Amino acid sequence: MKRGTAITISIIVSVLFAVFFIYPAGMVVKQAFEVTRPDGSSHFTFEFFSAVFGNPIYREGLWNAFTLGIVSTFATLAIAFPLALIGHRYEFPGKSILGVLVLAPMILPPFVGAVGVKQMLGVNGSFNAFLIDCGLMQAALPFDWLANGRFTGIVLMNALHLYPILYMNIAAALANLDPAMEQAAENLGCPPWKRFFRITLPLAMPGVFAGASIVFIWAFTELGVPLVFDFARVAPVQIFDGLKGLDKNPIPYALTAILLVVAAGVFAISKFVMGRSPLGTAPRPKARSAALVLSPLKSAACSGFFLAIFLVASIPHLGVILLSLAGRWYGTVIPDVFTLRHYTEALGNGLVVPSIQNSLMYAGCATLLALAIGLAVAWVVVRSDLKFRNTLDAIVMLPLAVPGLVMAFGYLALSQEGKAFHFLVGAGGSPFLLIVVAYAFRRLPYIVRSAVAGLQQSNPVLEEAANSLGATPLRTLRRVAIPLIGANLAAGSILAFAFAMLEVSDSLILAQQAQHYPITKAIYTLLGTLGNGTELAAALGVWAMVFLSVAIMGAAVLGGKRGGLFKV
Amino acid sequence: MESIRVESVIKTFGSTRALDGISLCIEPGELFFLLGGSGCGKTTLLRCIAGLETPTSGAIFFGEREVTKMPPHKREAAMVFQSYALWPHLSVGQNISFGLEERRVPKPEIKRRVEEALEMVKLPGYGDRSIDQMSGGQQQRVSLARALVVKPKCLLLDEPLSNLDAQLRVEMRREIRRIVKENGLTGIYVTHDQEEALTMADRMAVLTRGNIGQIGTPEQIYRAPLTGYVANFIGETNLISGTVIRREDGFATVTTPAGELTGRITATDWSPQTGEAVQVSIRPEAWRLLPQAGDNSVTGHIDERSYLGQRIQYWVATAAGRQQVVELNPHLIHEPSAETISLHVRREDVVILKS
Repeated sequence: MKRGTAITISIIVSVLFAVFFIYPAGMVVKQAFEVTRPDGSSHFTFEFFSAVFGNPIYREGLWNAFTLGIVSTFATLAIAFPLALIGHRYEFPGKSILGVLVLAPMILPPFVGAVGVKQMLGVNGSFNAFLIDCGLMQAALPFDWLANGRFTGIVLMNALHLYPILYMNIAAALANLDPAMEQAAENLGCPPWKRFFRITLPLAMPGVFAGASIVFIWAFTELGVPLVFDFARVAPVQIFDGLKGLDKNPIPYALTAILLVVAAGVFAISKFVMGRSPLGTAPRPKARSAALVLSPLKSAACSGFFLAIFLVASIPHLGVILLSLAGRWYGTVIPDVFTLRHYTEALGNGLVVPSIQNSLMYAGCATLLALAIGLAVAWVVVRSDLKFRNTLDAIVMLPLAVPGLVMAFGYLALSQEGKAFHFLVGAGGSPFLLIVVAYAFRRLPYIVRSAVAGLQQSNPVLEEAANSLGATPLRTLRRVAIPLIGANLAAGSILAFAFAMLEVSDSLILAQQAQHYPITKAIYTLLGTLGNGTELAAALGVWAMVFLSVAIMGAAVLGGKRGGLFKV
Repeated sequence: MESIRVESVIKTFGSTRALDGISLCIEPGELFFLLGGSGCGKTTLLRCIAGLETPTSGAIFFGEREVTKMPPHKREAAMVFQSYALWPHLSVGQNISFGLEERRVPKPEIKRRVEEALEMVKLPGYGDRSIDQMSGGQQQRVSLARALVVKPKCLLLDEPLSNLDAQLRVEMRREIRRIVKENGLTGIYVTHDQEEALTMADRMAVLTRGNIGQIGTPEQIYRAPLTGYVANFIGETNLISGTVIRREDGFATVTTPAGELTGRITATDWSPQTGEAVQVSIRPEAWRLLPQAGDNSVTGHIDERSYLGQRIQYWVATAAGRQQVVELNPHLIHEPSAETISLHVRREDVVILKS
């Protein structure tokens, strides 16, 4: 019977995935290869790809997206690796608080952060004003810190936003190392730095690659940040701009298909070639390595490093907060006049309140849906003996490899009149179901990973005991299995919920009417509004920040092992 | 109280056959032991009876009811796990009341029965404790109480004492037997500890590689093992190969490299023919060290000696290999030497086994 349930769940989940994930992604690829004649017939073609690669603007867009992805990933790595290693090895004052503070970037949607960064580091921003005030810069010759076609600004924003993901992955990889491995090397006479390169780094490599591949895919397909920086020559923005004439212009399909192939390729390489764990099926370490206590000077340096990263990472937050409070702010270090007007005004704005309600509804329902599917998948993966279970585990991780933009694009195309997903569009063009499904499948990996981790740690004998005492399988799940992994599930859900609230691609592309806008699209729309639109957006961004910091702290407290949630 | 019948149960995991057609019948109210080395299939058989594994073929009956395909929660066969499997998110009392709640027993009765159960396992007043505040022995008793409180038709115990220290183990043996007998339960107890089985069991089955080697009372199995494996697993034994030269009502005389030995024929389905190659099993404590040869004896010299306090163990080199000899509370301690010594055994203590 158990086997039957497992088979049923596997089939249902596979079908759902085929319909709501593989089909839309596949549809995008198919459209990219298909030309439709006026008479309605269609045939296979490479002409859109030759159009893309033949056009210097698209070539540049793809190249920019790719280099943005690579440079952002290395910048992220440069921040995250030292952080994780120092945190793993040494004890220093304020370690636990600083360890949470460096996660600060996660609470701000990156494109909102970009607004703040512009305010702080732009030509007329705070930093230049500060330098001018100090006499270090001539007012007539301000320096553009975000220069180079805004490329630098985007990399900075990506790195500052994405390093926590990599940091948590590497930290988790290091924490899962059996300290005996390093101790054995030490015992055999290997000095610390050599130990790092010969033992620690090779063993932590899967974590590094797993995190780096997520960061790359994220940066490579980032839509919000380049939009805010008005950087149009990057593929995701070109796709977004091409949406309006979609029925006539198939170029966006081709671009999207290229993004998908590159992203999936990077994911596959990281997972199957580079990221193969040399530990294999080594048992879980029983002990944790004790952090080393350093001399006061050195430990102060460690604290200082964490604090510095936190401060730099807070620049966007600071910019957004100041902006939301600014009555007037141009060319000065801090605003000339402070006011709470934007907050009160935001509440009266026709976009703001509905967008908060919409986002809560979308993200809440999506999380519940993802939780139900994720729990079922995790149960099959951990508790059943189906051969298919490892495949299932790999399938549900795929959303990490497929850019949000690709999915959003596929959903949009399929929800048109007469297409397969049109039934998901509610009365009055409500994208409610569409967005909920899109959010849920994209966030599924977080829930599956946390539920799998929980189930693996809880002994199946505890469930068997309940069974033998007369509890039905369903009651066993409710009274024993779920309470035991409750913390894991809560942590995964909160994360999924928070990311759904912050979602950009699906939100910007699928919500087309103002009354259905989620928060992110409301912010984006406000940014483009004349008058005090930017300040209103900042005020809304601050609310989102407060909300997300509470959510993520809750997840951290419940989840305990923060890194586990991001492991691929 | 219910009988449990297992009929030619086969269980395979991939290409390995964990149970190879097991049949046995456990009487109502009996405390039955499944005994065997690791990997012999004893835990798999218990899990099949509990419903946690489904046999590949064969049938299992509780009384007249066939339960082979019945899910575990409908079997009313409460199990005590080797790791105790107490739920860390529930208190001691909540752990015990779980099964009663699942059976929709009224609240006041649950309270009363939980208290009774705690009383029975000698943990009164511990209901509000959390599981990790309990010691290993206490946890063991909580898991026993949790299984007993639902008044199961049968009680399944999977090496319940293997995580306890030696002294507690001896104490808990008596406790478990008392509780099973007082409640009139049919109990199946899995262990690899032969001493546990000998002291507690009404009857036991010795399993080897998915088959039953022998079923019987502790005395039958110890005194009249059917195979060399069983003789060696339950207690220790000296096995000597030889050839039957004579038979007389229930006894046979065997010629061995060390001389002639006479012993009992214990098997019911086999009787050695003259000239047949057999094995002779002699328990170490059945050998008697004598200065000169006598009836039913072999000669050799003491090779090695270990002093074990209450008893002394010798290894005696004979023409039929080294013999283990145990003397309890000896009045004379021999030193290893090349001096010839004689080993004598009563013919009732020698068992002739099929080889």
